Amino acid sequence: MIIKKYSLIIIALLLVVGGCEKESPVHSNRVVVALSADITSFNPLFSFSVDEGVVSELLYLSLVDFTWDEEKGNIKPGPMLAKKWEWSKDSSSITFDLRDDVYWSDGRKFYAEDVVFSFDVYSDPGVQSRLYGGFTDFYTDDENHVNVNKTFEVIDSFKVRINFKPNSTPTLPEIIFHIIPKHVFENVERKSIEASEENFKPVTNGPFKLAGWDKNQTIRLKVNDQSFLHNPNGVSEIIFKVVPDYNSRLTQLKKGEVDFVELVKTEDIPGLKQVDYLNISSQKGREYDYLAWNNIDYELYNTNGKIKPHKFFGSPVVRRALSYGINRREILDEYLAGYGQLAIGPVSPIFKGVIDSGLEQYEYNPEKSKQLLESEGWKDIDNDGILEKGNTEFRFKLFIPSGNPRRNYAATIVKNNLKQLGIDVTIESVEMGVLIDNMYKKAMDAWMIGLYIAIPIDLKIAWYSDLEKTPYNFVSYKNAEADKILDEISEETYQGKLDSLYRQLQEIIHRDEPVTFLYWVDNIVVYNKRIENININPLGTIHHCWNWTVRK
Amino acid sequence: MRSTIARLLIKRIFSSLIILFLIITFLFFLVRISPGDPVQKFVNPTLSPKLAEQVRESLNLDKPIHMQYIGFLTSAISGDLGVSYNFRRDVSSVILEYLPFTLLFTSVSFIFQMIVSFWLSIKSVKKINGLFDRALSNITLLIYATPVFVTGVFLVFIFSELLNIFPSSGLSSYDSADFSFWARLTDYIYHLILPIITLSLIEIAIFYKYLRDNLEDVYNKLFVLNLRASGVSEKDILLKHVIPNAINPLITIAGIELGIMLGGTLIVEVVFGLPGMGRLIIEAIFTRDYPLVIGCSLVVSFLIIFSNFLADIIKAFLDKRLLTGSLN
Repeated sequence: MIIKKYSLIIIALLLVVGGCEKESPVHSNRVVVALSADITSFNPLFSFSVDEGVVSELLYLSLVDFTWDEEKGNIKPGPMLAKKWEWSKDSSSITFDLRDDVYWSDGRKFYAEDVVFSFDVYSDPGVQSRLYGGFTDFYTDDENHVNVNKTFEVIDSFKVRINFKPNSTPTLPEIIFHIIPKHVFENVERKSIEASEENFKPVTNGPFKLAGWDKNQTIRLKVNDQSFLHNPNGVSEIIFKVVPDYNSRLTQLKKGEVDFVELVKTEDIPGLKQVDYLNISSQKGREYDYLAWNNIDYELYNTNGKIKPHKFFGSPVVRRALSYGINRREILDEYLAGYGQLAIGPVSPIFKGVIDSGLEQYEYNPEKSKQLLESEGWKDIDNDGILEKGNTEFRFKLFIPSGNPRRNYAATIVKNNLKQLGIDVTIESVEMGVLIDNMYKKAMDAWMIGLYIAIPIDLKIAWYSDLEKTPYNFVSYKNAEADKILDEISEETYQGKLDSLYRQLQEIIHRDEPVTFLYWVDNIVVYNKRIENININPLGTIHHCWNWTVRK
Repeated sequence: MRSTIARLLIKRIFSSLIILFLIITFLFFLVRISPGDPVQKFVNPTLSPKLAEQVRESLNLDKPIHMQYIGFLTSAISGDLGVSYNFRRDVSSVILEYLPFTLLFTSVSFIFQMIVSFWLSIKSVKKINGLFDRALSNITLLIYATPVFVTGVFLVFIFSELLNIFPSSGLSSYDSADFSFWARLTDYIYHLILPIITLSLIEIAIFYKYLRDNLEDVYNKLFVLNLRASGVSEKDILLKHVIPNAINPLITIAGIELGIMLGGTLIVEVVFGLPGMGRLIIEAIFTRDYPLVIGCSLVVSFLIIFSNFLADIIKAFLDKRLLTGSLN
């Protein structure tokens, strides 16, 4: 009885005190964004994950800012640390005029030397930054380290020229990244930078600065009122709250404990629509799901490097038949419920200038599919319901990543659709890490996965024939005609010509159908209506969030 | 006698060390032969595959597995568990950031479980097969059969979503840095109530079952009847005779359960977003952070072995007759 009495008193006290201290976010000028995992470093050199990239974008500035041009469907460069820039006539160098009113958070001024130092560190093999090895247009040594003396001319404290090596085709997006402070890192041994304390007490120059980091709980960013980007009417504080459990993120969103959640599943949308203070939006065209058909006999390739077409999927006609035989629209309508669109190839519909809208979808047509399979010699000779060609029956394993309801659902539809054609599919669900490892090892016949695409558009990483240099060409697609166009694209800088080359490439890929492109999947974002001025675009869901305002 | 104890203690410590050695050896090979590649995360796909080899070299993954193992053992003996691939820091410093929370969380929960299960079982045996006893037997069975994550989600739904009494996740409010010391402490407690209940319920059910049955057994012994006949009060019978006789098996179970609970915090930490070892281990496994997986496993294995050892010592301390048997 005594225990009961005291426990009640204690609980009551806790509720009162806890309740008193809790400030409702609804009345503040701060915004709470849910993250699924904490970050491991604030240093942009090591922002390997998407979330680390998001946080470092708010803390550090780049020379040039990119925004999304909705009309043209492409990125548009604008000033940031550089007020303006000028390419030399032959594009062999670029000169940046830098702002002279930018300060680091420790009070030191930003100079051109910081720019030179950043290129030096990002490309240093001892640092192994996320961009290491990527400075192919620069003068570098054998270890891909940028040769600073040959590359940079510091004209004055706020003017710097970058010289590129001959016959290179540098573009702005390739050379833009977050600049780090020289005075902080110049005395740190390069190999020790990744573990240095400075990564956790960052000296920054962005629109926000770090106000606190409660590891695995919250990251608090306060607005930097000294920044030229400072908006007095904007958000004063952004809090990234680490909530690993998806359901908890939604619960907190509904309760107003967090204001912004992304990667929301379509099955939760009806429930969230009932909450009148939530807005539902989506980022389109950054990720597509596809059914990968291994184009080559991977066992032979892994044994002696020889290329032989795969016994089922080596023929483009069979691959087209499979695409005709799968009801992608059913998956799209039933599962994605409007938050996606059918994919016709690897080019996202967001790239309006590049997408080839003249291509025809492989609409669900089982009869046509059967005809195509028969034309390739796949017939059910023994009437057991399974197609044969010689002694080979058409049956294979389809690997999918575990714990993904969308792909589970889609795999079931695929299995049922292909069964009607006489193809026996066994679904194997494996952990994502295992699946990715097998993709790199080219050790599966067929699998289903998604691909998050790069901006600006880059098709060479996935569709170029040189399998050694193209690690993302998991299905080992090979086409000399496509290679020629991809090579031309790498050397072309004129946008009009590029658009035409990309259209030609899409036609080739569409004809070969190396994989069955399923659908583009929206990144569904749900946020509290009190946040205004949100611009969700392909570059990011919280891109340029210093422009957000909070309704009082 | 003392030399016997010392000899047995040394023997026990030695065998514990062998178990630890076997565990980390087994894990070392298991994580390396299991599929998955830790290097991919750090390599930009647009770059040459040669770079992947360089990263592999920097992570010491280019050497043959037995050489990696020898290198690992040599470093581990000197207390160096390697550098975490993800955190880019010493494994021991990463673990030290996460371990205190798990230890504190588990200890508080363990004490809570002990108090509640003790209280319930004593109340239960006061009237065996009474309404309270029968109801509790069924309720504890139900709790025992319910997975921890279901209990967690259910409690969040009731107390956080429907009633809005407790926060649904996290260790503190995001603005708790602005609070006074006491308010911050209260904020922590406020956040930990649901996780502690979630973690404790199943253990309470287990302890209750053991203790209640032990108490009933002892109550049915002849010496209790004798004591009653000699006019010893019921309170004295319970406190001085029944409990001391019933508690021994519970301590063994508690030692084992404490170890299991360290693993059980994993689910609770994920459901409630708490910064403990459980979440660290899961992240390390999914990202193939080999040194961290092994470091965490080593610490958890040590804690399990240590809690069992501690339970045996306590048992022996309470009943000297068990001394050699417990330690051997």
